[in-house]
Amino acid sequence: MEISNLPISPSIRSKLLSKGYTSLSSLSSISPSFLAQELSVKLEEAVEVLRAVSDTTTSKSAHIPNGIIPGAVTAWDMLSEEQMQRHISTGCEDLDAILGGGIHCKEVTEVGGVPGIGKTQLGIQLAVNVQIPVEYGGLGGKAVYIDTEGSFMAERAYQIAEGCIYDILDKFPSNSREFLSCKERLQVNNFLAGIFYFRICSYTEQIAVINYLENFLTEHGDVKLVIIDSVTFHFRQDFDDLAQRTRVLGGLSLRLMKLSKMFNLAVVLLNQVTTKFTDGSFQLTLALGDSWSHSCTNRIILHWNGNERCAYIEKSPSVASASAPYLVTGKGIRGINSNFKRARIM
Amino acid sequence: MMDTEEEDFKSRLAPDVTPNRQLPWLTGIELLSDTNQNKHFLPTGLEGIDALLGGGLRQGQVTEIAGPSSSGKTQVCLSSATHVVDRNFGMVLYLDTSNSFSPFRISCFVNQLHPSLPKELKETSLQTIMSNIYCQSVFDIFALLDLLHHVETTLKHTVKLGGSKLCLLIVDSVSSVIAPVIGGKNSQGWCMMASVGVLLKRIAYEHNIAVLVTNHMVGGENGTLKPALGESWKGIPHIRLLLSHGTGNNRGTTTVLKHTLMASGRTANFVIGN
Repeated sequence: MEISNLPISPSIRSKLLSKGYTSLSSLSSISPSFLAQELSVKLEEAVEVLRAVSDTTTSKSAHIPNGIIPGAVTAWDMLSEEQMQRHISTGCEDLDAILGGGIHCKEVTEVGGVPGIGKTQLGIQLAVNVQIPVEYGGLGGKAVYIDTEGSFMAERAYQIAEGCIYDILDKFPSNSREFLSCKERLQVNNFLAGIFYFRICSYTEQIAVINYLENFLTEHGDVKLVIIDSVTFHFRQDFDDLAQRTRVLGGLSLRLMKLSKMFNLAVVLLNQVTTKFTDGSFQLTLALGDSWSHSCTNRIILHWNGNERCAYIEKSPSVASASAPYLVTGKGIRGINSNFKRARIM
Repeated sequence: MMDTEEEDFKSRLAPDVTPNRQLPWLTGIELLSDTNQNKHFLPTGLEGIDALLGGGLRQGQVTEIAGPSSSGKTQVCLSSATHVVDRNFGMVLYLDTSNSFSPFRISCFVNQLHPSLPKELKETSLQTIMSNIYCQSVFDIFALLDLLHHVETTLKHTVKLGGSKLCLLIVDSVSSVIAPVIGGKNSQGWCMMASVGVLLKRIAYEHNIAVLVTNHMVGGENGTLKPALGESWKGIPHIRLLLSHGTGNNRGTTTVLKHTLMASGRTANFVIGN
C-alpha cells in the first residue's frame, strides 16, 4: 500500500488508514482544511501530509523500506562491520586477549574496583592508547576525559604517553617510509593534546556535560573514547532521594549508549565499590545499586588476588567470563610478561 | 432454528459492540482450532527453557525474562533469534537498548547448530540466517513507542510478497527504557508503560508474533531482589520467567513466575553453549 511508504509520522499514517485513505490517489484532490478536519490534526500537519504525497507522486522514486523499519540493519551486515572494527588496547596483552582484542567501540564498559587498584591508571592508559596511529595497530582517535574526582594528573599522563611511544618504537623498529611519516606524530605533546579534559564538580555539571557531549562530538569527529572517572562520586553524597537517583542514572546511561552508537566510540565508566549485605554476610559490590548494573554493556571488576592485581570480566554479551592479571608500572598498565624485552624482527 | 436466532442476536448486538474495528467474532471452538493450528511454539534453543515452556515461546503471547545482572537474559534472546530463523519460522526483529546485540555471538550459536555440515554450506547458512535477523537500537521510551507503532502499521498493510514475515520481536531490555520515566510525582510514566504493554500484546495477538522482553531486578524488602517495573507491569506479560545464576560458568536456573497454562514455581536448569 502506498500510504505506508510515505515519510510521515506513524500516528498520522494510522489515522489516514483508519479513515479509509489507503492509496495516494485518494488524497490527490483533497484540500488541507478538509483533511485536517477529517483526521482531527492541525492544519500544518495536513499540509505536510499533502506535500509528502505530491513529492512522492512527482518524484516516483520507489522508497523501499529497509526490512520492517527504516534504520534496522541485518545481523549479517553488522557482523562484517564488527569484524573490521579495531579495539582499544589496554596495555596488558592478557587483558586484551580475554576482552577479545581490547575495549570495544559502540559499547559502554564499566570498570570498578577498590581504591588504589588502578582504575584511574587504566583510564589514563586508555586515553593514551586510543591515540596510537592506525599504522601501528591503534585507532588514531582522540579521547574525552571527564574527571569528577580530580585524580587525573598531567605528569602521569606524560609518563604513560612516553612509555607507550617507547614501546611502540621498540615493537616496530623498522625504518621503512610509511613508518617514518608517522614517527613525527609519535610525540608526547601530540598525545597530550589529543586528550580533551573536563573537570566536574557536582552532579548537575555531570548531567550537563553528558548532555553537551553530543554537540562536542559532532564538532570533534575524531574522538573515539569517552572516559568518566568516576561516574559514582557526585551521586553518592548529594542525593537524598534514591529512587530519583536511579532514574537519573538510568537516563544518563541511555544517553551514553546512544552517543557510543551514534559516533562509533567506546565509553568507559569508572565506578567505586560499596558493601552490600547479601546471604548473611557483607560483600563488596559496585556502587550505585542494582539497577545501574544493567546499564552497561560490559563490566570489568579489578580486584586483588593475593599480592597481584587482577581484572575479571563479570558481564559481556560476546566474550566469556575470564580473569587476567596486570601490573601498574612506571610506563603504565602492562601485562605480567611484558617485563622481558622481546625482539621483534619486522 | 438455533442458527437464525444466533445470527439475529449477532446482527442486533454487533453495531454497538464493534462499531469501527472489524475484529471477528469467534466462538470457543474457532479459537481453539486457531490456537492449535496457527500459534506455534518458537524454540529458544535452550533445552531446559523449552521444556519448561512446553515447547518454546508461544506465538501470540508476550514472554518476559527477568534476572539479575549477567544471568543470561541477553544470551537467551540471541539464542532464540538464531534458532527461530534456522527453523524457518520467519524474520526476527531485535530492539536493543544497551548495545548488547553481538553479531559475533550469533555466529557462534549458528556454528553450533549444524556441526556436521561442510564448510561452504555452513557459510551460506550463516549468511541466510543472519540476514533474517534485524537489529535496531532504541534509547528512550518515545522512540520505542514510535517504532512499535511503525511495526504495527507496516504489518497491517504489507502484503506478504514471498519473503519472510516477522515472527519474533525481542526487546532487550524493555525495563531500561521504561524505568527512567516511572516513579516520581506525575503518572505519565506509568501511562507510557501501559501503552508499551498494550502495544506489544496487540502486535503479538493480531499478527501471530511471539514477543520476548527482558527485565532487570531491583531490591525488594529484606534485601531480596524482585523484577523491576512494579506491580502494574506484572499483568502485562503472559508468561514470566526468572533466571538465576547457576553453579558453573554458563549454567543457570529458570523459574516460572507466571504462566497462562501451567502452575508457577516450576524450575529447570539450562546450559548456554559456547
